Amino acid sequence: MRKHLRQWIDTRFPLTRFVKHELTEYPTPRNLNFLWNFGFLAGFMLVLQIATGVFLTMHYKPDASEAFDSVQHIMREVNYGWLIRYLHSTGASAFFAVIFIHMARTLYYGSYRVPRELLWWSGQVLLIMLMATAFMGYLLPWGQMSYWGAQVITSLFGATPLIGDQIVIWLRGDFSVGDATLTRFFSLHYLFPFLILMLVVIHLVALHTVKSSNPSGITLHAKENIPFHPYFTIKDFFGLGVFLIIFCAFVFFKPEFFIEPDNNIPANPLQTPKHIVPEWYFLPFYAILRSIPDKLGGVIAMTLSILVFTAMPFLDRCKVPGGAHYRPVYRVMFFVFIVDVLVLGYVGANPPGGMLTTAGEIATFIYFALFIILPFTSQWENRLLARKKDLPEEALRLVREEVMEQYIDSSQEDKQ
Amino acid sequence: MNGPQRWLAGALLLAGSTCGHAETLPLADVTLSSDADTVRRGAETVVTVCMNCHSLKYIKYRDLLNIGIDRDSLNLWKGDKDLNAPLLSLTPADMARASYGKVPPDLSLITAAREGGGRYVYSILTGFYTDKDGNTNNHIFPGIVMPDILGYSFAGNKEEQHQIEQTAADVAGFLLWAAEPTAGFRIKLGSAVILYLVILTALLYLWKRRIWKEVDHDIENSIRES
Amino acid sequence: MSNDKLIDGDSGAPSNEERRDFLETGTKALAAAGIATACWPFIASMNPSSDVEAKAVATIDLGGLAPGKVETVEWQGKPVFVFHRTDEQIADMRSTQTQLDPEPDAKRVVKPEFLVVVGVCTHLGCVPNRSGPDGWLCPCHGSLYDNSGRVVRGPAPSNLAVPPYHFDGEHKIILGKA
Repeated sequence: MRKHLRQWIDTRFPLTRFVKHELTEYPTPRNLNFLWNFGFLAGFMLVLQIATGVFLTMHYKPDASEAFDSVQHIMREVNYGWLIRYLHSTGASAFFAVIFIHMARTLYYGSYRVPRELLWWSGQVLLIMLMATAFMGYLLPWGQMSYWGAQVITSLFGATPLIGDQIVIWLRGDFSVGDATLTRFFSLHYLFPFLILMLVVIHLVALHTVKSSNPSGITLHAKENIPFHPYFTIKDFFGLGVFLIIFCAFVFFKPEFFIEPDNNIPANPLQTPKHIVPEWYFLPFYAILRSIPDKLGGVIAMTLSILVFTAMPFLDRCKVPGGAHYRPVYRVMFFVFIVDVLVLGYVGANPPGGMLTTAGEIATFIYFALFIILPFTSQWENRLLARKKDLPEEALRLVREEVMEQYIDSSQEDKQ
Repeated sequence: MNGPQRWLAGALLLAGSTCGHAETLPLADVTLSSDADTVRRGAETVVTVCMNCHSLKYIKYRDLLNIGIDRDSLNLWKGDKDLNAPLLSLTPADMARASYGKVPPDLSLITAAREGGGRYVYSILTGFYTDKDGNTNNHIFPGIVMPDILGYSFAGNKEEQHQIEQTAADVAGFLLWAAEPTAGFRIKLGSAVILYLVILTALLYLWKRRIWKEVDHDIENSIRES
Repeated sequence: MSNDKLIDGDSGAPSNEERRDFLETGTKALAAAGIATACWPFIASMNPSSDVEAKAVATIDLGGLAPGKVETVEWQGKPVFVFHRTDEQIADMRSTQTQLDPEPDAKRVVKPEFLVVVGVCTHLGCVPNRSGPDGWLCPCHGSLYDNSGRVVRGPAPSNLAVPPYHFDGEHKIILGKA
């Protein structure tokens, strides 16, 4: 019976062919490590956020006079409302944690390099969409931190030359963050995840065109690939289990960890809380914003700090394919970057002043400096690696070719 | 653990340690409980004493039945108000503003809205003292407008102080419940969920190992390692 | 399948096969149970919340209702007629039978002096109006109900619904619980 049904569908729709080609028999490098689980986890989080979000919307009231109360209604009176709410609020943080690790994996292993540039750039767009979604979602509970976070960030757009003030009013729909802002943020917060969903499909199409990279960075022989099912289906589910244990520990035992105390106070347009702090996933960018004393300069720096990742395929000039696996210089730069981001996060979490401001300025400088020196360090690395003996054959060949070319070029110049 | 794994763990730990908020207030080093008796005793104090000025608008009289308040006490407290009515302050907001200059905050979420939560409430109530000019002040909230309602600053002896500390702990315990009445159920359900997930993940791990047995063997024997 | 060789090799003695099945089926069963359980909170969240449930039960005070008078109260968003019947009206209802939806009056009341019916016409949902001392008339299509809420003339197909209720003392009705 099942076979007949499948045949009936297959003559009308490429179901079996598609599932075989893109899922069950899809060739995957056999040496992928656990860091390759995070794409699947990100997809899971998107589905979870949409599901919990849709069910929250059944009870939430997007009106300035009712929003805060409706969240309390969900927490206290809706059956399992507290659970759906905590899944959604903790889920936002979990989503970003997963995405940051996913990005770190891509940077470390050089998965942004040829031929995966479009995969990387579609990921960048996804990141920006996610940040916008999270920012708008944070206003919805209409707490003190919600309100003032939105007030501060929307006023940043006022730094735009000439039309800044009009843009801010247009964005808010009012002269300061108000009911109009809340309603439109709610509308877009509901819309964006579905745009993200569509972008994820594009992201996956790009992936399936070039196939996954692997920790060595060197394309494996065909026989070293294994079918996605059952090897990576079971690995993804196992990884999901580990992830859910950590996630549920937060949801059930420490849900308040990601909710600022001030957000349990209804929004008061006449009184700003002592310390305005964005959610943790925005902290490094917030620190970069604050370390430039000029308003427009700060906004430009913050925007660049997100956009600079797009340039990675061009900045990295090393001929050894892949990432840090065979490249000691790049590996050091990567870990310096990670530490730098953590320092920026710490700076962003605390009120500005004294040593912290200096630390923030230095960290911001290092952040951009790492990207700027990459073209030079990666070329220097070529020459270093050409002398190494323990690289794989293909890698050595590529590096030596590059170095020889440079040698021939420079010696021809000398002759002239 | 390979290199990147070790660094990932370290980074997460570092990040985690910076996420905590610095506690700058001298909160009392007290362990508060939210057991049934504490919450019941706290309810009585809050409804009969605190509600003279404070409201708890997200708690309904009906909710107090869930913490074991008996019908008779409840009827006494609510008077002719409906069972589904919220717990509102006896002092209307405008009168309070006229007397105190500000409206006493609603207490439904007070433990969630302050750093230190229940300990904050306890410390405020036991933080009243009389300064050298004879005025009442508070260690946690200097210049507080709220009067020393439990009388800590003019307690006669150690025994009276201890009584008031008990009452303050009960009030804090009740307010912890009021901020999230479903918390008890949440923790119970959470234990079951984590237990389930641990078992399921263990089974998934064993199944993964079996599926990967041959491949893992091949990878170990091959030159190119991850 | 080509990857059969890569999975359990030829060392599969019968016990290995059985163990594979236990691990596989056990894990699948546990996972399926977990997914089903995880769906429940979402479904349950669509049920009436506790504040709505609380209003599902209403207390009606009958103290001021004089004989022959009807009071309309709101319950679960619908009108409910509370009718204090006179002795003649009770006797009249006891002795008459209706044709469209036959039902003895005694089965439609807890105490004969008080008729409690949902004031929603069983035809298409309009609210009937009190029509003289003998019953209710629906303004939408002319259905007629007697002093027991029974349909006397259509197009309504059935009698006015009797909601679950019980008496709490002489003068109080708890509407919503039998």
